[in-house]
Amino acid sequence: MKLLPTKPLRLPRLRTYVPAPTDPKIFWFNSERDDIVNDVVRRILERYQSDEDIELCLNDAAYNEIRRHEARTDEGAKNRLEYWRGIVRRLSRMSSEGRQETLRECATKMAYDVAGNFDPRVYKFAAKAVPGLLTAVMNPSSVMRSLLDSGARLDELVAAQGPIEKLRNLQRKGTIVLAPTHCSNLDSIAIAWVLLREGLSPVVYGAGKNLFSNPIISFFMHNLGAYRVDRRIKATLYKDVLKSYSSVMIERGYHSLFFPGGTRSRSGAIERRLKLGLAGSGIDAFSRNHSRGIKRPVYFVPATINYALVLEAETLIDDHLKEAGRHRYIIEDDEFSRVERWISFFSRFRALESACVIRFGEPMDPFGNRVDDEGRSLAPDGRTIDPMTYVTRRGQAVVDHARDAAYTRELGESIAHSYGVETVAMPTQLLAHVIFRRMVRATPGLDLFARLRHRGDIAIPVEELAADLGNTRDALLGLEQRGRIHVDALLRRESPMRILERCLATWDGYHLRPVAKIVSGSVLAEDPNLLLYYANRLRGFAVELSGANEADRAAARDIEVMELRT
Amino acid sequence: MSRVAVLGGGSFGRALAIQVARSGRVVTLWSRQPRDPAHANVRSTTRIAEVGQAELVFVAAPSIHIDGLAQEVGHYLDGTHLLVHVSRGLIGSDLTTLTQRLRSSTPCRRVGVLAGPLVARALAEGEPGGAIVGSLFPEVTEAVREAIGGPTMRIYGTSDVVGVEIASAMVGLFALGIGYAQGRGFGPATTAMLATRGMAEAMRVGVACGATERTFSGLAGFGDLMAAVAGDGRPESLFGRALAEGLPLPEAAARAGAFVEGAGIAAQVTAFAERHGLEAPISAGMAALLSGRASGSAVLAQLMSRPVRGE
Repeated sequence: MKLLPTKPLRLPRLRTYVPAPTDPKIFWFNSERDDIVNDVVRRILERYQSDEDIELCLNDAAYNEIRRHEARTDEGAKNRLEYWRGIVRRLSRMSSEGRQETLRECATKMAYDVAGNFDPRVYKFAAKAVPGLLTAVMNPSSVMRSLLDSGARLDELVAAQGPIEKLRNLQRKGTIVLAPTHCSNLDSIAIAWVLLREGLSPVVYGAGKNLFSNPIISFFMHNLGAYRVDRRIKATLYKDVLKSYSSVMIERGYHSLFFPGGTRSRSGAIERRLKLGLAGSGIDAFSRNHSRGIKRPVYFVPATINYALVLEAETLIDDHLKEAGRHRYIIEDDEFSRVERWISFFSRFRALESACVIRFGEPMDPFGNRVDDEGRSLAPDGRTIDPMTYVTRRGQAVVDHARDAAYTRELGESIAHSYGVETVAMPTQLLAHVIFRRMVRATPGLDLFARLRHRGDIAIPVEELAADLGNTRDALLGLEQRGRIHVDALLRRESPMRILERCLATWDGYHLRPVAKIVSGSVLAEDPNLLLYYANRLRGFAVELSGANEADRAAARDIEVMELRT
Repeated sequence: MSRVAVLGGGSFGRALAIQVARSGRVVTLWSRQPRDPAHANVRSTTRIAEVGQAELVFVAAPSIHIDGLAQEVGHYLDGTHLLVHVSRGLIGSDLTTLTQRLRSSTPCRRVGVLAGPLVARALAEGEPGGAIVGSLFPEVTEAVREAIGGPTMRIYGTSDVVGVEIASAMVGLFALGIGYAQGRGFGPATTAMLATRGMAEAMRVGVACGATERTFSGLAGFGDLMAAVAGDGRPESLFGRALAEGLPLPEAAARAGAFVEGAGIAAQVTAFAERHGLEAPISAGMAALLSGRASGSAVLAQLMSRPVRGE
C-alpha cells in the first residue's frame, strides 16, 4: 500500500466536457476549481491582514508541520521539512509583501490539496456499476444475475425515507447542506447511492484522508467531488482553508454534505454534541451571499443513517470503552479496510429486509425554520418570512461572525433535535436494548465496566426474552405514534420470536465473537460490548421503553445515567 | 434612532419603559388595558401589531402568559427583532427557559434575558445600579445597553443564557424564602445561611441544565440576592413576609403587588432535582411550605437536621 501514489489518480482529459443545462452544479466543478481556490486564498488573506497575524499564522503552521514531518522518514517528508524550516528561517527577515506572498503560497498549496475533482465519466460509470458491484459483493453466489438486474437487491437493502420529493424541488431552488448522523465509513457510500437512486443531486463532502488510502475508493471519491480533509494537519491555517473551502462551495451553490458528529460515533449512540464548524460555513455562505445581494437560499437537511449491522462495530465500541477515542482519532486498521469483512457483512443482510434505512428529516433554513415545498421559510404560525431578516441589522444585510457563531449553535440544537425524532429503530438495536436491560437488572449496583465483564453468564429463557421484546416493541410503537421516533418495518410487523431469530442470525457469523446465542432454551448475552453498542442507539428512550416492571424501570434509569461519552 | 417596545404594563414593564424614555428614545408600551404613559416619550397602546415597529422588544410578562403572548406578538415579528425577557419564571418540571420558549413560538432567534438587582422602584427613580443580559448574540446585549444603559445603569453581558435564567428564577425563590425567614424574626446568620446554601443549590441545578458556575456568583446570582437580602422591597420579599404573618396565599400574593414566580419555581425545581438525582433541600422545603404540606418550623427543623458534609 505504501508504494502507491498518495495523490489521487485522475483520468486523462481527452476533450473538454461541456455540461448540459440540466446537469447538477457539480458538473461545472472542474471549470470553476481555480476560481474556487482563488476565492479561498483571497478569504485567507482578508482574514490575516496585519504583519503580526501573518507571522503568528505562518509560525503556527510551520511548527505543526515540522513536528508532523519529523516523525516520518520518506523522501516527500524530507522535502516538506526543508520547505517549512526555510520559512521559519526567513520569516523574521521578510518584508510585509514577502510575508503576504508566503501566506498566499501556503494557502494556495493547501487549498489545491483540499480541492477535489469531478469527472462526469466516473460519475456515469459509478452510477451504472456501483449497484451491480455492491449487489455482487452482497450475494456472491449470483454474481451474474446481480449484475444483470443491478440495483434491484440493493434497493431493498438500502431504504430511503422522508420528504424526498420536497428535496428534489428544493435542490433546484437553493443549496442543500446534508447533515447526517455518522457511525460507519459506509455512510458516505450509502448516502451517495441513495441520492443517485432518488434523483437527487450528488453532494460534495470532505472525506478524511485515511479514506483515500484505499486506491479504488480514493479514485472514486476524488473524482466524484469529495475534498480531502487531512486530520493529521493541525495548523490553524489549514483549518481556516477547510472552512473557507466549504463556505465558498456552498456560496457558489454546490450541494454539500458534512457529518456534524465529526467522526463516527464510537458508542453507537445518536450524536448529541455536534461539531459545527461546517454548519457555520453554511450560515457564513448565506450571509455573505445576501450581503452582496445574491438571494440564493441555503437548506439544511438533517438525516439519520440507521444500520441493522455496523461494519466497524467492534472496533468502535472497543475504542469507546478504552476511552482512547481522542488518541486514536483516525483508525486506519478497522474492518473497513478488510475485504472479507465486507463480504460477510453484506451477506448477513439477507436475513433482514432493510439493512440500512436512511431517513431524511424536514429541511430547515439556516436559522432552524421549517421551509415549505417551494423553499420559503415558515414562521411558527405558518406565515412565510424572509430568511434575510436574520442577517439584517438596521436595514442592512451584514456579515457578523459573532452573530453567525450564535446562529450556528442554535442550528446545532435544531439538528440534534431532528436526529432524535428522525431515528429509525432497527430490530438489532431493540433486541440488544432488551438484553442489555436484563444484564443491568441482573447486576444491580455495578458500574458499567464491571457489568461488561459478565461475558456469557447471563441467561434469559427464550420465551421470557421474546415477551420482553414484544412489550418493549409496543412501548416503542407508542413513542412512534407520538412522533418521537420511527420504527423499521420488519420490527413493526414480525412476531417477537421471529425478530429474535432473525437478529441472532444477522449477528451470527459476522461479528468475530457471537453477540448472543441460544443455549438450551436460553439466550446467553455473549458479547456485552457489542450489545452495549447496539443498545446505545435507544439509550435516551430507556425509561420510556421500560414498561411497568419496577426492576426494568430501575435498570432503565441506570442505563440513562450511565457515564458515556458519545 | 431605533425604536424600543415593552410588552406588559405591570409595574416592572412600566419602569423599563420609563428608563428607556429617559434617554430620549420613543418607546411603545403595550398592555391589554390602556395605561397612563407616565413620560412624554412613552407611547401607550393596546394594539399588539405596533410592537412590530420596534427593533428591540422587552417582554415583561409572567411565565404563565408567555406562550400565548409570544404566539400573539409572533405574527408581527421576524428575524430582525431582538427579544429580551425579564421574567424570573421557568416552564414545567424540565425547567424550559423562557428564551427557549420565545425561540420556538416566535420567528425571532436573537433573544436574551435581562436579570440582576433590578427593581421597579429603583429603575423608575433612576438610582445607580446594574444588570446583566444573557444572550448568545452580542448585538442583543449592545441593544439593551443602548436602550436602558447610561449614567445610572451599567449593563453587563454573558453568553451563559441558561445560567442567567436559572439563577434569576432561583434567586426569586430564595428572596421569597428569606423574606419569610425575616418575617419570622430570624437574624442575619439565618439569612446568610439560606442565601449561601441556596445559591449552592441553584448552582447544582444550573450546571445540570448546562450553565456555568461562575454566572451564579455574578449579578444574576449573588448580586441579585444581595439586593433582596438588603431589602430592596421586591415583590418576592413582600410575599414571603406576608406568608410569615400567616396570611393565606391569595392575600400574600395581593400584598406583593406583582406576579411572584417563586411559588411555582419551588415545586418545578424539586421535581427536576428528583429526576436528575440532585440535592435541592431548600427548594423541596419551600415547595412543602408553599403547598401547605409542612409548617415553617417543620421545614426549618428538617433542613437543620440534614447530615453535614464538606461545603
